[in-house]
Amino acid sequence: MTSQEIAGTNTELPSRTSDRITTLRPERGLFDLELDQIWRFRGLLTTLVHRDVMVMYRQAALGATWAIIQPIFAVAIFTIVFSRIAKLPVPGDTPYPIFAFAAVLPWTYFAEAVRRGSTGLVNESNLVRKVYFPRMIIPLSGVLAPLLDFTIAFFVLIAMMLLMGVTPTWRLAAAFPLVLVAGSMALAVSLWLAPINVRYRDVKYTMTFMLQIWMYASPVVYSSTMVPEKWKWVYALNPMVGVIEGFRWAVTGQGEPDMMALGIGVSLIILLLFGGLLFFKRLERNFADLI
Amino acid sequence: MTELAIKADGLGKKYKIGASVAQHDSLRDMLQSMTKKLLKPNDPKESGEFWALRNASFEINRGENVGIIGLNGAGKSTLLKILSQIVTPTEGHATIQGRLGALLEVGTGFHQELTGRENVFLYGSILGMSREEVEKKFDRIIDFSEIADFIDTPVKRYSSGMYVRLAFAVAAHLDPDILLLDEVLAVGDFSFQKKCMDFAKSLEKQGSTILFVSHNMFSIKTMCPRVIYLKKGEVVFDGPTDEGLRMYEADSRLAQSPWFQPERGQAPAITFTDIQLLDKSGTEKTVFDFGEKMTVRIRYQTSRPIKKADIRIGINRADEIHCCTFSTLADQINLSEIDGEGEIELVTPALELVSDQYTTTIAVRENDQQICSQLGATFHIRHPLFQSNAYGVFHQSGEWRLDGMKSGLSAATANKRS
Repeated sequence: MTSQEIAGTNTELPSRTSDRITTLRPERGLFDLELDQIWRFRGLLTTLVHRDVMVMYRQAALGATWAIIQPIFAVAIFTIVFSRIAKLPVPGDTPYPIFAFAAVLPWTYFAEAVRRGSTGLVNESNLVRKVYFPRMIIPLSGVLAPLLDFTIAFFVLIAMMLLMGVTPTWRLAAAFPLVLVAGSMALAVSLWLAPINVRYRDVKYTMTFMLQIWMYASPVVYSSTMVPEKWKWVYALNPMVGVIEGFRWAVTGQGEPDMMALGIGVSLIILLLFGGLLFFKRLERNFADLI
Repeated sequence: MTELAIKADGLGKKYKIGASVAQHDSLRDMLQSMTKKLLKPNDPKESGEFWALRNASFEINRGENVGIIGLNGAGKSTLLKILSQIVTPTEGHATIQGRLGALLEVGTGFHQELTGRENVFLYGSILGMSREEVEKKFDRIIDFSEIADFIDTPVKRYSSGMYVRLAFAVAAHLDPDILLLDEVLAVGDFSFQKKCMDFAKSLEKQGSTILFVSHNMFSIKTMCPRVIYLKKGEVVFDGPTDEGLRMYEADSRLAQSPWFQPERGQAPAITFTDIQLLDKSGTEKTVFDFGEKMTVRIRYQTSRPIKKADIRIGINRADEIHCCTFSTLADQINLSEIDGEGEIELVTPALELVSDQYTTTIAVRENDQQICSQLGATFHIRHPLFQSNAYGVFHQSGEWRLDGMKSGLSAATANKRS
């Protein structure tokens, strides 16, 4: 048999590309999150984000201008409806468009990150069925890709502030930790929803109005000062409250960032994220069979 | 001392069939099947399970090329999916040493909107290469793919052949220690297929281990000295290729064609139960001479009357080249109805196919719908000169006019005329 001949010449074989030993078995420990695998596949993560970013506006005549048009339109509509028609009060002397944009910016990022993070697995079902990689890469890349739009819109916000006579200050730097919080929240939600979406495509349809309701449960078009004091703590259970109010503070300098809301929000995110990791890893093993 | 590449110990994968788990696409489906379960608690269709793979144990040494053969649904792809970590085994375990590359489908992960160049990087990282690694190998990949001129065109404008070339070129440069190939060489034109096979052989020299799934017995024979033969999810043979292929050929006689998917759960409308290849004296044989007539005698059984049938008997060469098809419709025979059981006999004209191994296939079409496709029997055609590597598919003599040249009958013509 030829295998024996090959075995005989084994000493001359060049060294392996990798000395990694992989063990395949049916069960895995509950807390074995295999985070090292994500590190090993970080190249794939960057490539997927890169791909999403490149594909996002390809074959769209206006290209990346959409990243500017979308939030501006939202802000324009909110200004007409909530400021001109409904005459919602705004604390301080901030022009309503700036007040709204400061919230639309993190909210749009969050909503898009959740949408991509939760539905990505199904959209990439071809990959999931045919190639191995840690599946968490997909929600991760879904949460990272909309950061480009966020960055573009961030510069639009600065330009708008200058136009409307609101001076940007050092406080704007707070946007970075805040977007990190929003991103973690989006990832936490995605880790819960993505495995469910693999089983029940209903998630995709629920998503649109879930995000709509969530937006009105967050101080996007109105100020959280309008929420009665005794309900404040319930309101703060929505981690986006702290993030959005933080953003407003960073942009307008009005009031103080609500540290209680942020504190509750971050603790909740940590819990959700950890639970999400366990949940995702638990169901990940069956993705290829179910998708 | 031999180094192990793969050690599998009792690998098994269980799937649920019917509507029970895997096929709820929405909550509504689930609610429906839950109510159904309440009404009919012991419906076997709902609670069916089957083992796509069971008790698979084997050891593969470093540098070995092993073919995985078996009929449709024998568990070949399930085995590769387990080994490549796409699905988790239900039982058993396996150890893999070294970098594993799996090509279960060429071009999975290509993005239509991106150019060939961008896709090389994308696909490379999906397969597990780093960006630097792809950059380093980029020129070799493009060379191998032979589509350098189109590398900056979006792949949605590629022909399927170009697509496959590029995808295989990337995968081929992964330099894996273990390479899993599932039917991928079945695509692309013949010269590219040959290039891929040569490449796989060169990997073997570098000490790579290759596991190769194919229905193409010709490529299995060229590439693998050892085969693992799976039948209904179990390893029934593990050893030298020739012996494994003999078992497989005996089992595949009249089996369903691997490419034909009959409607799920339905009995086929017509089944062929026996096939014989006979010479003109009526003796059954497996080796025919070039130019000999062959009689194909098949027995059929129907489960319902078939109207306006077209019965087709095809001949495929071992390297999957479809050589010819005999068809009742093409021969203007009007078969208004077939029912019950009976016998069909086809006498071919003198077979002028080159010397090689062939398989017959039987298909039936009803109103232009394929309703049956079965493999038939294997036979050889013998001729000392007309080999497939030089003479193509068939050989017929031509008439030559050779002005100003000296000519006479050569040995070859004399041989043919004799």
